[in-house]
Amino acid sequence: MKRPALWIAATVLLVAAALTAVLATRSPAVTKIADSPLIGRIAPDVSGKALDGATVRLADLRGSFVVLNFFATWCIPCQREHPELVRFSQQHAADGSARVLQVIFDDTAAAARDFGKTNQVDWPVVEDPDGQVALDFGVRGPPESFLIGPDGLVLFKIVGQVDAAGLNRLLNEVAR
Amino acid sequence: MKRWAPWVALLLVVVVALVAGTRDGDGPEPVSHRVDRIAHGVRCPTCRELSAAESDAAAAKAVRLAIRRDVEAGRTDGEIRAALADRYGRDILLTPAASGVVGLVWVLPVVGVVIAIGLLVLAFRRWRPVGRHPTDDDRALVERALTE
Amino acid sequence: MNNAVLGQSAVILGFLAAVSGAAALAYGLQQRRPAVVRAGRTYVWLLLGAALVACLAMERALITHDFSLKYVAENGSRTTPLLYTIASLWGALAGSILLWGLVLSGYLTAVTVRFRRHADDPIVGWALLVGLVVAAFFFGLMLGPANPFRTVSGAVVGDGPGPNPLLQNHPLMAYHPPMLYLGYVGFTVPFAFAIAALATGRLGEGWLVETRRWTLFAWGFLSVGILLGAWWSYEVLGWGGFWAWDPVENASFLPWLTATAYLHSVMVQERRGMLRVWNLSLLISTFSLTILGTFLTRSGVLDSVHSFTESSIGPLLLVFFGVVVAVGVGLIGWRGDELRAPGSVDSPVSREGAFLLNNLLFAAFAFVVLLGTVFPLVVEAVNGDRISVGRPYFDRMTGPIGLALLFMMAVAPALPWRKASGELLRTRLQVPAWVGALTLVGCVVAGVHGLTPLLAFGLGAFAAAAAVRQLVLATRRQGVRGLLGRANGGMVVHLGVVVIAVAFAASTSYSHRSEVRLRPGQSALVRGHRVTFLRVHEEKHGNRTSLVASIRVDGGRVFAPALSRFPFASQSIGTPSVRTGLREDVYLTLLSAPRASDGSIVLGVLVRPLVVWLWIGGGVMAIGTLMAAVPGRRRLPTSPASAPVPDAAPPRVPVAAPAP
Repeated sequence: MKRPALWIAATVLLVAAALTAVLATRSPAVTKIADSPLIGRIAPDVSGKALDGATVRLADLRGSFVVLNFFATWCIPCQREHPELVRFSQQHAADGSARVLQVIFDDTAAAARDFGKTNQVDWPVVEDPDGQVALDFGVRGPPESFLIGPDGLVLFKIVGQVDAAGLNRLLNEVAR
Repeated sequence: MKRWAPWVALLLVVVVALVAGTRDGDGPEPVSHRVDRIAHGVRCPTCRELSAAESDAAAAKAVRLAIRRDVEAGRTDGEIRAALADRYGRDILLTPAASGVVGLVWVLPVVGVVIAIGLLVLAFRRWRPVGRHPTDDDRALVERALTE
Repeated sequence: MNNAVLGQSAVILGFLAAVSGAAALAYGLQQRRPAVVRAGRTYVWLLLGAALVACLAMERALITHDFSLKYVAENGSRTTPLLYTIASLWGALAGSILLWGLVLSGYLTAVTVRFRRHADDPIVGWALLVGLVVAAFFFGLMLGPANPFRTVSGAVVGDGPGPNPLLQNHPLMAYHPPMLYLGYVGFTVPFAFAIAALATGRLGEGWLVETRRWTLFAWGFLSVGILLGAWWSYEVLGWGGFWAWDPVENASFLPWLTATAYLHSVMVQERRGMLRVWNLSLLISTFSLTILGTFLTRSGVLDSVHSFTESSIGPLLLVFFGVVVAVGVGLIGWRGDELRAPGSVDSPVSREGAFLLNNLLFAAFAFVVLLGTVFPLVVEAVNGDRISVGRPYFDRMTGPIGLALLFMMAVAPALPWRKASGELLRTRLQVPAWVGALTLVGCVVAGVHGLTPLLAFGLGAFAAAAAVRQLVLATRRQGVRGLLGRANGGMVVHLGVVVIAVAFAASTSYSHRSEVRLRPGQSALVRGHRVTFLRVHEEKHGNRTSLVASIRVDGGRVFAPALSRFPFASQSIGTPSVRTGLREDVYLTLLSAPRASDGSIVLGVLVRPLVVWLWIGGGVMAIGTLMAAVPGRRRLPTSPASAPVPDAAPPRVPVAAPAP
């Protein structure tokens, strides 16, 4: 092999260029539709005590789309997405085609109740003291939302704060 | 042979000690130990690199609780890990898979070491000075020089 | 004067100085005009002045709480204590680039001063040229995406959120980045000289050896910086560990690995003029890895405790990395044939052979760490799958390499140059080997269990005994003065590394974690330690509100793990409290606020053996580095490397080969 140094140099350069190209195409984490092993499967059951004491089950909400939202009062993006959830809930309140169900992530019921005193909350909020509901859905950190179809299938997972327009877009996509 | 005797003895001592020190303890693994061990191989869902055993985040505690329940229910390590991957995705497990494209991460370093050793062997062979043994021409030259 | 204007002007001045200086040097070198090359030094002084003014302007803005600057508005706060305010200069992205610029200017000035008698030598000219180009890049970053002197548009706030709470918990955060940067940035100098040597073709003159001490200092600072980072992680983050194979930790570790290989390999170049390609490649790799590491840390490509923000700085750093690698590899490829060594390694069992193997081991180590760090990104790009490469991978892959390195540390110093005889080795290694074996037996008898830790302890004792043997021999021959100098300083550094390796193995294999719920006044016994929960109280500091628990450990001192809430941060940040001991640490964390019903808290108790020896080992390494930097007693090339072996046969004179 003539001039081995040059060949080795060329190989190293190629590898470095490939690495550079790969790293250049990565994008930092932001709100996005995320991949999840649950998509396309029946949603795991959510069954717990709501803030008002009643027992709530996800299965009872079959027949409507459900936005299952994991939140915490200390989470800034959750606070920012709250008005959007209110808007979404009101838009679909009339025909009940879509409902919101919230699960508390790493926070106390007391804090959630305080939050509810100063913010409009028109949907059931379920406690998850052991974090098992979050585990069942593979939630890494708030805010995360799942769009669940009327038949109970998980359709989308959204990581980061949501907005009403985006949720409606997803609904339209499914309707097609 | 006598010179190597103390070294053989040393090697024996080392091997015996290592065997004694790595024999598995008696009795089954206690539950908390097993939970800890499995949790060390699972990522804390909210952290970057910490394992579920090391982090005190709520998600990590939830994972440890789930592992404990599964261990007490008699499931195997593999089943427990698969169940967690089923929820969070394969990247919740800190150990990459050993097969497929991902398996390359295990294979490449080994291949690299083999190649490096190979190159080293080749290099040493190249460096060994050629013509160690004097040829007949060399002998004739020396003869001539000595008689001059 | 307005801080923003002052600082911005200084940055512009610095950028112009770097660019003009580089241009002037390039012209002078091209036209072979030594006067121009010599004059290029003024630009370096100008650069230093500009960097100093910019940093002082930023510090003034931070200390006087000038919230008209965006950087101060985002990172400053009236309630932050002074030390952290000063340290917030490097607390976020733009400021840390400013620090980089300052340290780089300082190093370039030092080069100018140190080599002033060679000011018109093209090699020094080239080195300064490369240094100024790098400086131009970083000052250019400050003119663009990482501008620290950007002003706030609109209303000026009255107060800011202060630095990231995790950066305010401990004074160590003040020292960790500057140390790291003194190391990181310091590698620019040997890199510049490597490029200079390649560019001028003067590869055999020993310029690389000339700059060895620079590399040593940079390496020393980087070592301290890495250990400080581990200490911070342990004392502040609350998970009780010090090394998580986090991408940011790996980013600082990678250049350390190649630099360590270089420091050993350059000795072969000094003695025998060999391994030049290795040395040049190692220097270029070290610098490239610092750039790559900065990219991984700053671009938000991976999430981590250090990821401050996402900005366009990522692509620029990546392009710079690509350029550095391309230039370096291209130059080596171009000069490749001239770099072939005149001699060759006679035998694998020799000092040269050992250093060559050393290079390979470190290269393998670096390869594994780099592969594990970037592999998730590569896989995601290729088929969209998200995978994790975590501790189990790194431990399993680097463990054997680490053990092999411990073995090399023991054997290599006893190996003579050129060729070793079995007898020589047997004599020199006998005592250290038995020390290692008996330590191993002692550990097993004491109940220590597990293959990797046992091997680590045995090999560590072997390596330590070998190092001590060298030191004893040196002292016996030359007295205390003989202790100074590279060889023995190196042995002390090895001792430090052994201490760290043993402490690392022990604390990661034998720690014990548990949680206890304690009512006020209640005690619990954890691994032989009695922890008593005394009381809980709230503390209000300027920058935070803390819930502090008082825990008495073993009937002695009272420790105070806490949960703190910062005004602008989201969650409570836990502060651990550690009872440090020579044998083990008792690491306490407050896991929950007192329960309403009975005032009980959940206390995390982690018992970790030998942790303090990590930091002691680091201190030993630092001392050894200082010892190694002092010039040793000048040895004649013919004096033996260590005490002669009594009955070793003298080498036979080979018969001369006849002329062709």
